[in-house]
Amino acid sequence: MQSNGKNDPMKEFPTPAMRRNWFTLCMLVSKDFKKKYRRSALGVVWSVLNPLLMMAVLALVFSNFIKFADIPNFPMYLILGNTIFALMSDSTRDGMASILESTSLIKKIRIEKLIFPLEKVLFHLLNFCFSLVAVLLVMIFFRIMPTANVLWLPLLMLYAVLFSAGLSMLLAAAAVYFRDVLHLWSVVITAWTYATPLFYPIEILPAWMQKAEFFNPMYHYVTYFRDIFLYGNTPSLTENLVCLAFGLASFAIGFAVFRKLEGKFILYV
Amino acid sequence: MPEVVNTSNLGADLDAADNRETMIKVDHVGMMFNIASAQLNSLKEYAIAAVRRELAFKEFWALDDISFEVKKGDVYGIMGTNGSGKSTILKIIAGVLEPTRGKCTIHGKIAPLIELGAGFDLELTARENIYLNGALLGYSKKFIDQNFDEIVEFSEVSKFLDMPMKNYSSGMVARIAFAIATIMVPDILIVDEVLSVGDFMFRQKCERRIQELIRDHGVTVLIVSHSNEQVRRLCNKAIWIEKGHTRMIGTAEDVCRIYQLVGGRTGCAESEKVIMDTFENTDVNTSCVQCNAIYGDTKFGTSAKMAQAEQGHVDTVVYTPSEDHVQSLIATGLASALGAKMLTCAEQSVPDVTRQALEQLAPDNAIFVSCTLFQNPQKIAADLPKAPAHTHVITEGTNTRLSLAVFEFGRERGIWGDTCVISPEFCVGDQFAILPAATKLSAPLFFTSKKTVLDRDIIDVVKAHFKRALVLAGEEAINEGHLAPLRQAGVEIVRFIADNEHEANERIFDWLEEERIREGAGPVERLVVVNPRHPDDAFCVGNYAARNDALILLNNPSNLDYVASAIRQVQRFGGSIRTLDFVGDPSIFSDLDKTILHRIAASARLDAANGGR
Repeated sequence: MQSNGKNDPMKEFPTPAMRRNWFTLCMLVSKDFKKKYRRSALGVVWSVLNPLLMMAVLALVFSNFIKFADIPNFPMYLILGNTIFALMSDSTRDGMASILESTSLIKKIRIEKLIFPLEKVLFHLLNFCFSLVAVLLVMIFFRIMPTANVLWLPLLMLYAVLFSAGLSMLLAAAAVYFRDVLHLWSVVITAWTYATPLFYPIEILPAWMQKAEFFNPMYHYVTYFRDIFLYGNTPSLTENLVCLAFGLASFAIGFAVFRKLEGKFILYV
Repeated sequence: MPEVVNTSNLGADLDAADNRETMIKVDHVGMMFNIASAQLNSLKEYAIAAVRRELAFKEFWALDDISFEVKKGDVYGIMGTNGSGKSTILKIIAGVLEPTRGKCTIHGKIAPLIELGAGFDLELTARENIYLNGALLGYSKKFIDQNFDEIVEFSEVSKFLDMPMKNYSSGMVARIAFAIATIMVPDILIVDEVLSVGDFMFRQKCERRIQELIRDHGVTVLIVSHSNEQVRRLCNKAIWIEKGHTRMIGTAEDVCRIYQLVGGRTGCAESEKVIMDTFENTDVNTSCVQCNAIYGDTKFGTSAKMAQAEQGHVDTVVYTPSEDHVQSLIATGLASALGAKMLTCAEQSVPDVTRQALEQLAPDNAIFVSCTLFQNPQKIAADLPKAPAHTHVITEGTNTRLSLAVFEFGRERGIWGDTCVISPEFCVGDQFAILPAATKLSAPLFFTSKKTVLDRDIIDVVKAHFKRALVLAGEEAINEGHLAPLRQAGVEIVRFIADNEHEANERIFDWLEEERIREGAGPVERLVVVNPRHPDDAFCVGNYAARNDALILLNNPSNLDYVASAIRQVQRFGGSIRTLDFVGDPSIFSDLDKTILHRIAASARLDAANGGR
């Protein structure tokens, strides 16, 4: 038997660390998924139905009662913005609480703590994929012909996941030390929802705010999504780089903070 | 009294010649928790604390400089009372916690059974949970697939595999968790009191599995346990940790013996040493001293047993609720002076044992003594098949008044001697210790009503009727100023002033011995041992002790100072003790508690016999 350092007593378990963590991640995602739809009649259909219903309500409100401007294919405009925004807001909301929720595990077994926020992001990425079915249905309904530009979608998903994962890690670590973050973040998300042109065109914003939107990563992701799905535009290299830069920056900061603080989590959870 | 827990090192028996491979090396590990900052959960609190520079306050060392080595194939026990740091050290070894100081080195893979089923989600089915928990413990899918059947078989849940686990019994959950955790053969297995969950069959099964791992696979095991017996049975080595300090390292046998003797008890280091030394040096044949335990199924039963200990016709029975020790002691005084038997009952009901004893004794007179009125003493008496010819009820609003009323009752019948006992309500131990004398001298007990006042009424009565007063409690309760009127009236005052109960017990013994010598009585041959923390069982003991010419010795096994004091007092009689009576069931005096004094008494007796030759 070889002796390895104290830092990795489980190194010699049947699988190498990476694969083992991936398996754990999958098991946790599958657990969340099973729990979400257990005992519901429609089950996973809800993942498709939910964005559709949401879109219907918003479309009703914003095309009849509060009318900003005439946006062609408004329901499609809405559902695209909402689904990609929901990917970020849902993963950060759950990711933030993930470490605190796993207290019993963290206190008892040696486990890669990064798994917990990442698992939430992965879970919501899966949900996002289901809501793509809803997007597809809307496209068929409104007879919007997809172009080859939809093939950019995996890149957009990568950017958005990097960004959400970074935020989740940062928030998860912060929430361990200050529970205030849990309350504050829901307010931030609400503000962010209104600050991003999800159900209104960017043109109705004052000029300075339109400029400020450049620094709103979600604005870039939402626009990217609409470009490739609704308008059939090819995203420019600059746009891709900006989206990637936001994703990487968020991930790098989140990862660094999480790694720095995770050693002391057990004393605070 | 401050709680003293010893943390001094009793020695480490490290086998330097042991050249087996080291599996776990704990090297001067210290673990500090920061209590103040651990409680700051909001930004505001944190900011305030930071400004005040209070962030680093209140250090708490859960572990202080712990070092030990576990060799390959060892089954290592970690012992200690609750909160002594056992779980913390396990978490450090399992890699969950980083030590503040020192280092912990592990060689090989660890399977921690720190808390079974930590990763279970009870909403999911057993099948899903086996995979989930397996993943959390670091198994691969293939590995779980291969061993799935074995896990199910061990945990005996095959019928319920697809049922949500929230519908499982806790035993089933524990079985699955244990099966998953031990399905792979680790190099090191950590067992943290898991064997205390589940039913008897499950525990046996788990133990068999652990022993299989030890025997067939040479797994090194670390076991945390309160159970002396379990460590002794399973382990070969052990460490005893107390409040974060190493107390002892050695073979499981040695550590268990010492732990059982003095572990988890309060008391100063000297007492601990006295007990260990005397116990280790007195492993003698104890047959020359008789050792009895007197107890019933309930506290009432104990009184009934003592009352029924002798046969013969009984003239009078004194009957009192045992909820309040003061009332019971007042009644004891009356019973002994009357030469009557005493029984206890609950405030609101009559226990069956008491009723049976009452029926069996069939007294001519029944006297009911109580501070608050019995539910209906006449009725109780009338209920009996042979109702007592006379029934008296003595009841008063306060304990002081009750003691005076009992005195008055006795005075009319001329039963009191010329000595009385005065005590505040709280000196239970002293009151017990004085009982044999009080009984012999037919001395009534007077209780003061407040902590630091000697009542006018008591002073008057004592002045008028007694030549001598035995005053219990220290200066702070009853001072000389209180007693001045009595002294002026020519009443002799005897006091037993000491720092604590067991020393007061020694003072009382001193005085009782002097009295015996003065009377020309023979040496003390019998001791009745009473635990002052469990007085309920022992109210009738005064009568019993007096009848058997015994003294009452106080012993509180959970405090080593008492035990050491009891040892000294058994020794002082120089081997004249022939019989020890322990009042209380095994939860009050365990076999070991009895054995300690029994051995001391026997050894003193043998010494005396040898010296006499």
